Amino acid sequence: MTPSRTRRRPAALAALTAVVLALAACSSTAGAKGSPDVAPSGQIVPRQISWLLSRPADGGVITAMEKIADEYAKDHPGFSLNLITTPDRPSYVQKYETLAAANKLPELFDTDATPFAQKLASQGRMVDVGALLDDLGLTSTYRQAALNYQRFPDGSLSMVPFEYSSEYFWYNTALFAQAGVSVPKTLDDMPAMCTALRAKGITPIALDGQDQWPLERYWSYHPFRQAGPDYVHKVATGEAHFSDPAGKAAATWLHDLGQAGCFQDGFSSTGYADAQALFTSGKAAVYNIGTWELANLATDALDSNVRGSVDFFTLPTTDGAVTAPDEFVTTSGIGMAVNAQTYDPLMRDFLAFALTRYPEVYAASGALSPTTTVATTIPGNATPLYQKAVDQAENVGAKIAVPWDTQLDPTTNTRLQQELTLLVQGDITPDAFLTTMDAALAENLGD
Amino acid sequence: MTSVLTTQVAARPDEPSRPARRRPVRSPRLRAQRTLLTVTVVAIVVMQVYPLVWLLLTSFRTAADFAGGNPFALPSSFTLENYGRAFSTGNLWLNIANSFIVTAGASVLIVVAGMMAAYALQVLGFRFSGLVRGLFLMGIVVPVQISLVPLFIDYSRIGLLDTHLSMIIPLAAFALPMAVYLFSSFYEYIPRETYEAASLDGAGPYRIFSQITLRLSVNTIITVVLVNSIFIWNDFIFANTFVLSDGLKTIPLGLQNYIGAMGNTDWTATFAAVCVTVTPLMLVFLVLNKAMIQGLESGAVKG
Amino acid sequence: MTDTTTARAGAARPRPPRRRTKQLSTSMLPRRSRLSVLVFLVPPLLLYGFAVLLPIGQSLVLSLYKWDGISTMRFVGLDNYVKMLTRDDVFWTAFSNAIGYLVICLVLQLGGALLVAGLLTALPRARELVKTLYLLPAVISTVAIALLFQRIYSLEPLGLLNQLLGWVGLEHLQTAWLSNVSTVLAAVSIPEGWRFTGLYMLIVYAALIAVPHELEEAARLDGASWWQTFWRIRFRYIRPVWITTTVMATTYALRGFDIPYLLTNGGPGQASELLTTYMYKTAFVHTDYGYASAISVFIVVECLVAVGLIFLLLRRGDDK
Repeated sequence: MTPSRTRRRPAALAALTAVVLALAACSSTAGAKGSPDVAPSGQIVPRQISWLLSRPADGGVITAMEKIADEYAKDHPGFSLNLITTPDRPSYVQKYETLAAANKLPELFDTDATPFAQKLASQGRMVDVGALLDDLGLTSTYRQAALNYQRFPDGSLSMVPFEYSSEYFWYNTALFAQAGVSVPKTLDDMPAMCTALRAKGITPIALDGQDQWPLERYWSYHPFRQAGPDYVHKVATGEAHFSDPAGKAAATWLHDLGQAGCFQDGFSSTGYADAQALFTSGKAAVYNIGTWELANLATDALDSNVRGSVDFFTLPTTDGAVTAPDEFVTTSGIGMAVNAQTYDPLMRDFLAFALTRYPEVYAASGALSPTTTVATTIPGNATPLYQKAVDQAENVGAKIAVPWDTQLDPTTNTRLQQELTLLVQGDITPDAFLTTMDAALAENLGD
Repeated sequence: MTSVLTTQVAARPDEPSRPARRRPVRSPRLRAQRTLLTVTVVAIVVMQVYPLVWLLLTSFRTAADFAGGNPFALPSSFTLENYGRAFSTGNLWLNIANSFIVTAGASVLIVVAGMMAAYALQVLGFRFSGLVRGLFLMGIVVPVQISLVPLFIDYSRIGLLDTHLSMIIPLAAFALPMAVYLFSSFYEYIPRETYEAASLDGAGPYRIFSQITLRLSVNTIITVVLVNSIFIWNDFIFANTFVLSDGLKTIPLGLQNYIGAMGNTDWTATFAAVCVTVTPLMLVFLVLNKAMIQGLESGAVKG
Repeated sequence: MTDTTTARAGAARPRPPRRRTKQLSTSMLPRRSRLSVLVFLVPPLLLYGFAVLLPIGQSLVLSLYKWDGISTMRFVGLDNYVKMLTRDDVFWTAFSNAIGYLVICLVLQLGGALLVAGLLTALPRARELVKTLYLLPAVISTVAIALLFQRIYSLEPLGLLNQLLGWVGLEHLQTAWLSNVSTVLAAVSIPEGWRFTGLYMLIVYAALIAVPHELEEAARLDGASWWQTFWRIRFRYIRPVWITTTVMATTYALRGFDIPYLLTNGGPGQASELLTTYMYKTAFVHTDYGYASAISVFIVVECLVAVGLIFLLLRRGDDK
């Protein structure tokens, strides 16, 4: 036993090193290729393709794409679209990033325009969607805002948008009247609004703190008004700092919101459904969410006691704002990337069919299409607010407030989300917040 | 459920009967102590079990009742809709089947590998068995997290990612040290004479293993399987890391399915799903709990 | 993670130690071949080696690199360890949280186990029923437990715990248990303690039952109170089982992951971040595999040190 044991040890170590090095080699070769030709020549051979996605299992996108895939399969026997959805976003991101590391991504996969996705794109592992849409003659049919949301900071486009939504502040007019407050003109009016509502025993703003991204939206508002949409890109690349005037003002504003008791007690452990229930049950006066929730906020699905008193306002401005009032958070949801390694004539043909057909099928469900080619079907049970919200979404300015969570490197982003909660809860001061964030940014920028 | 349990209680003759002996001399003070004791134990048990009762009750509530109602109150109306939604939204049967495959696979692996290793270490013996034993025992304290990244990489290299095996292997391997320990402790108590007698009859190590050791190990096997099943059935971390496709999701991952996009959760349906998925293990547990409790207890005092 | 319950490990039996050490080197069988040893030993060793030992080695190697999973690996020497120990405040927060988590779990699991087991031995009937009910939470998956406790701790809507406080007139204590930085660590530790206290209780109970009655009777005749009997006789007698149980509960608490991960994901801030959740986040959210490996190496070392300390205490106790 002894000899074999002693011999085994260096052997194991060598094997280990070999595995690790092989991995390194494998991942570096992947980077050599460029994006493939968007119109490859050859025969269309139907097969099963997979789409790894992060959307609600019975939501509009999946329902529409299943229908379209069935239609396509009729003319192309042997074709099928396998949809693998992980609606929970953090779990999804983990899954997709690890699959990328294992070089096991399927034909289609969802991603935001994150730094990680940009690395994949720069290694030529994603099809140039900008070129693909041009080639299919579809680029002009898309809303510019929908495409821009998917672009990387360098302007390149590697993801196809499937949704379109604007984010508003929904509010309860009855509660506002009760507290004698009006819609805030500027962001800096909001703390006073909260104080007045609190004085009447009303929860001012319902916030889903558990999922982190809703609070991170609040973080993005003030800088977007004061410094414009470029600030976040500059911070992400280290050209700007959290402690710059824009960041400092944002931190102070959020701290003030917290001190004014704007969010419900214990917001950081309140989930999405509970936060929404606070608003829809008439307990909270304001709720910041996108038009994807129209079916719950502007139809008779809404509690009849609050149905008549729900309205919305768009992102308030600030004194000396550099962005217009009609410019705010308008997203086109998580985008779909096309895997370059499995791209072939079939993929192109299917995408040509699906993307042309999609807007019509999708808009029929009452959702806003990322294209301008179709009108949204207002559902039969909608309140007048539905149309108003859709109209507003159709008319937004050119600049959009990008969510920070898609821009920062993941480590800094995690830290930002954590520190924001502490800042709003009053556990740390704005100065401490800025110092921590700049340190985190500096530590993680080298990657 | 209660009736099953009470019959078991009644049918247990081997309970030490000290209390019965003392009954005649019961004084008022003693009786007060008894009452206090009973009240305390009942209170502790209620605290321990109440959350589960609440879970069951909630699975019958309507969503509105759940959102607005008093959480302590009985549901204002019982509804089975949650169960309907639970089954239509997720793949509960598939999740249960996957959990079953993984649990069964890992249990078999744990028992077979554990017995083999213990047999080699304890019965056959060899010069460096102490070292190998130490290597195995060290595994008892190694946290599973260490293996996540390396196994993910290894699996993707050899194509094991997203398979039942990708969960079974680490689940079995991390449970192996304790199984080896238990089996060797047990084998230590099989008298040497048993083996010597068999050897005189001409039995080699393989026959002795299958005819003597295996047969004597049944109780230990049951304990090892039952205790590990609880953990494997509920494993979250390996499944969450190595499983990607819906068709392979085990129960814990299936439950996560009820967390919708953007974190929207259908609570009442989720609780209904929890109740459904807990049931198989709960049934096994209630049926075999006596064997398991005895196994655990004898494990504790006898090893 | 899967094996804690088997916590019973060795112990209370009066084993003859001499005989055992002698047997280690020799076979119990008169005849056996080297081949048969290999046949029985190699398959389990392969399984164990592939899923436990090899990953430890790989983690050691990976921890010397900077790697995001898709770019080229970069050798950085010990920088990940230097970062961990000197530049990363989250690491130290997570470390002290892990210790806090450990202490709370130990108190609940071992303290609770001893208390209930002690009460149970005095209970005239229904012991089986109590044992079964007490063990019940162990059967439920952590995902379900996390969902459950989220509702229990909630403030808006009012959860079970806050409702209960309201009923008994303690409204001023109502808080969002999972949002308050000073309560969250306890709040995520309690479900973990709650879940397994039943298993440890069974083990301790079995050991208590095995205490010879004569010892207790003798002490009682000497005029010892119930309390004195309990501590001086019973507890001393079950000490070996107690130590083993402690080792198991400790290592299990140090690798605790599911409940904090699912309940708060380490928040608010880093108030409930444990080393394990931080390592997981570093690897699978931040895609910083090298640094994550360094943290997981630290977790292994931490567990080994903790167990070493416990055994050191055990040996010292024996000498007295």
